[in-house]
Amino acid sequence: MAYHTALYLFVFLPAALLAYQLFPARHRWKCLLFFSYLFFWLISGKLVVCLMGMTVFTHYIGVWLGWLKTQEPGAARKSRERAVLIFGIVMLLLFLGYLKYYNFFAANANRLLRTAGSSWGFSAKTLVLPIGISFYTLQAIGYMADVYWEKTAPERSLGKMALFLGFFPQLMEGPISSYSQTAGQLWAGRGLKGEDLSQGGVRILWGLMKKLVVADRLHVLVKTVFGSPQDHRGAVIAVAAIAYTIQLYMEFSGCMDIVIGTGRMFGVTLPENFRRPFASRSASEFWRRWHITLGTWLKTYIFYPISVSGPAKKWNRFAGRKWGRYAARLGVSAMALFPVWLCNGLWHGPRWSYIFYGMYYFAVIFTGLAMEPVWDRASAFFHIRREARYWRPVQLLRTWVIIVIGELFFRAISLKMGIRMFFSMFQGFSLSALWDGTLMKLGLDAGDFLAVAGGCLAVGIAGSLRERRGIGAEQLGKLRLPVRWMLYYGLIFAVIIFGAYGPGYQQVDLIYAGF
Amino acid sequence: MRDFRKPIKKSWRPFLFFFILLLLLNAASRAVSGIAKRSGELVRDRNRSYVAIQKEPENTVQVLVLGDSESYTTVSPMQLWKETGIPAFVCGQSGQKPQETYYMLKTALETQSPRVVLLETHALYNKEKKINAVQNVVREAGNYIFPVFRLHDIWKAGFSGKHYSGKSYKGFEIRAAVQPYKGGAYMKPTEEKEPVPEFSDFYLCRILELCRAHNAELVLYSGPSPVNYDYRRHNGLKEAAEEYSLAYVDLNLEEIGIDWDKDTLDKGDHLNIFGAQKVTSYLGKYLRENFGLEDLRNEEQYQSWNREAENFMEQYCKIVGNMG
Amino acid sequence: MERLMEILKEIDDTVDYGREKALIDNGIWDSFAVITLIGELEEAFGVRIAPAQIVPRNFNSAEAIWDMVRKLQEA
Repeated sequence: MAYHTALYLFVFLPAALLAYQLFPARHRWKCLLFFSYLFFWLISGKLVVCLMGMTVFTHYIGVWLGWLKTQEPGAARKSRERAVLIFGIVMLLLFLGYLKYYNFFAANANRLLRTAGSSWGFSAKTLVLPIGISFYTLQAIGYMADVYWEKTAPERSLGKMALFLGFFPQLMEGPISSYSQTAGQLWAGRGLKGEDLSQGGVRILWGLMKKLVVADRLHVLVKTVFGSPQDHRGAVIAVAAIAYTIQLYMEFSGCMDIVIGTGRMFGVTLPENFRRPFASRSASEFWRRWHITLGTWLKTYIFYPISVSGPAKKWNRFAGRKWGRYAARLGVSAMALFPVWLCNGLWHGPRWSYIFYGMYYFAVIFTGLAMEPVWDRASAFFHIRREARYWRPVQLLRTWVIIVIGELFFRAISLKMGIRMFFSMFQGFSLSALWDGTLMKLGLDAGDFLAVAGGCLAVGIAGSLRERRGIGAEQLGKLRLPVRWMLYYGLIFAVIIFGAYGPGYQQVDLIYAGF
Repeated sequence: MRDFRKPIKKSWRPFLFFFILLLLLNAASRAVSGIAKRSGELVRDRNRSYVAIQKEPENTVQVLVLGDSESYTTVSPMQLWKETGIPAFVCGQSGQKPQETYYMLKTALETQSPRVVLLETHALYNKEKKINAVQNVVREAGNYIFPVFRLHDIWKAGFSGKHYSGKSYKGFEIRAAVQPYKGGAYMKPTEEKEPVPEFSDFYLCRILELCRAHNAELVLYSGPSPVNYDYRRHNGLKEAAEEYSLAYVDLNLEEIGIDWDKDTLDKGDHLNIFGAQKVTSYLGKYLRENFGLEDLRNEEQYQSWNREAENFMEQYCKIVGNMG
Repeated sequence: MERLMEILKEIDDTVDYGREKALIDNGIWDSFAVITLIGELEEAFGVRIAPAQIVPRNFNSAEAIWDMVRKLQEA
């Protein structure tokens, strides 16, 4: 029962809203908790014990840290706090690692053992992942660290902890929120408001449009090419990589629209996960606009702690004296960036392509940093003003190329295949493949391409209006009623008529729910 | 008291919004159904039966056949017409689920009042996760109430100039390919049984209610298929039929002379036209004997059926003749 | 405060620090700018900035940064 299904939108959500409103304000959060666990149970069944176990554990660590903080301050307390935090994080990671990475580890260890001539090996296990585990594990770790850093007070109530980790709209695909972002709102028990319901509803509709009209349609083409890469080369590969990039964006951000819209209906403001990523001028800016909550999490709990840690500071002083500030800064960045991107890659799943994906961005962003002085000098020499209007398209295009290549490796069925596809892109590359009918043989016809283009255009215009002019869904409310309703009806019918659902289309599972 | 009227007016807005939405959905559904009826070639295969049965003149079809692919590869209405003069229509769909069967029947009963409803039983063994089954209930109900959901992508065929071909004769297509089944006997008697899944049983009940309300006899039948049937299923279906006091015909057990070297399309999964001929002959006799259906070949309003049957024979000879 | 302004100008001299109130939230600074600044602040003012203090709230404007530094110096 993913968020885009009729069952969720027309049965589960209305039932949850109704029950929520009927409960007295003080107990409404319990209703949310009930529906969250029901949601989890409907998807993952008995694995609900994993979520419960993790909740109890996280709650316990929080309370333990809280108790330590009431003890006599001093070095001894500090080190005990540290030990508890490390214990908590390691246990969570071991649990996640066992479920998610055991087979990957076993397969690769076996390969090593075999080359070493050993006959002993790890046996593969069938491990079923509970839904969304990668998302709420990060929330749990963030919470522990926040308590340790005294950013938040430990949560006393186990039930509230359970709701923070398992709030059903966030369960499958995030956004990954910190305790301070959502916790208070979740148990505020605010009554439903017409404004919230209609704004949330429009947001959900918008997300459905992205998912059903654009993403699910492109899925056919993407599957055709990535499913049998040996049959395609040249421009077709490039088109498929672009199509996948669009599919992934429309699907993930569309799902986030549904999630955030759902939150809004309950009066809960969830953090945004996307801010027009394709308007980025550099790879690092892209990651500040794409899957923002994951980026923020990695920055807060890995990048900053490492870059202000003892070793980093020592290096800074040492290298600063020896080679100058620039080299020192570069060293610290590398030290902090590498784990960030390794984790980013690994987080997506136990596959070499994902690790490569992380390392790819590490290389791109680190090179960008390292080349900055060269770049500064070059642009001064050629009189390029980097803020100039004409320069922006160049930067955008360069960033798009970086993104699309990254997603090509990300989607390819294996790292080996990704590399092969990348090189086959340059074999027999001819632009004529774009109009000689080759594209029509990939499972989509002219009507499909038109619907995709229309959907992309709508998303682009809406994004641009919001960012440049500050016109968002809130301003819709100020339009005159007939105009506003006409827009709503138009959107509803666009989804119904141009959506890729029903016979002849495949139901596409949410991509990020698999991570 | 000045603002007394305003808030009331505002609180009615959501109702008005959804009321208008329902009207619009209804209008769109009518429009789309109209287009589909006029240009059937724009409709996808799987939706075709919905449109086709609505296009039949009112109250002409006397036998309605429902089920998944096992239904439309076993009963050939034109042959039945030629042999017995019983007007039948196949409303099967590939992989039809019990929820779909129910709404297909509901759609058909809007304009037709069949005397007999033949339900091919393989669809009842459709194994779905519960959650998906519930999901399909929601979806099929939506499709039935607002056909715009079902037929929404008709614009695409129109835009791309793509036509879904395949001449259908009252829901039956001539398929003459042969891939023999070599597995030998497959109905080995046993006491074990595979009961009809709970969810299908629920829908079987609803289908039965619907038939009773429209004075139609529901008959279960299993088309011959070594891939899809065995004795355990036979026992399960027999039990279900007894429970609801329905007639049950298992063609896997009847001696109808299926030659598994020649009569199957795909190694015993489905029958081809030759297999379907044998099943249809048998069922024709069965229907005439048990339900007293009359021969309507000379009736004025069925002359189009006679013409259609001529077309069918012509096409049949062409296809079978080509096979040498 | 003047010393702080100098440091800020050194990191990026295209920003009007007197007026900008959302250095982080508007994406004017990236995380590299932040860690560079932290290094400079620690050296210039002799404070120690812990990971817990690295939140947008503390880095969004020159004033916020100054407040944080002063609080750290007092502690």
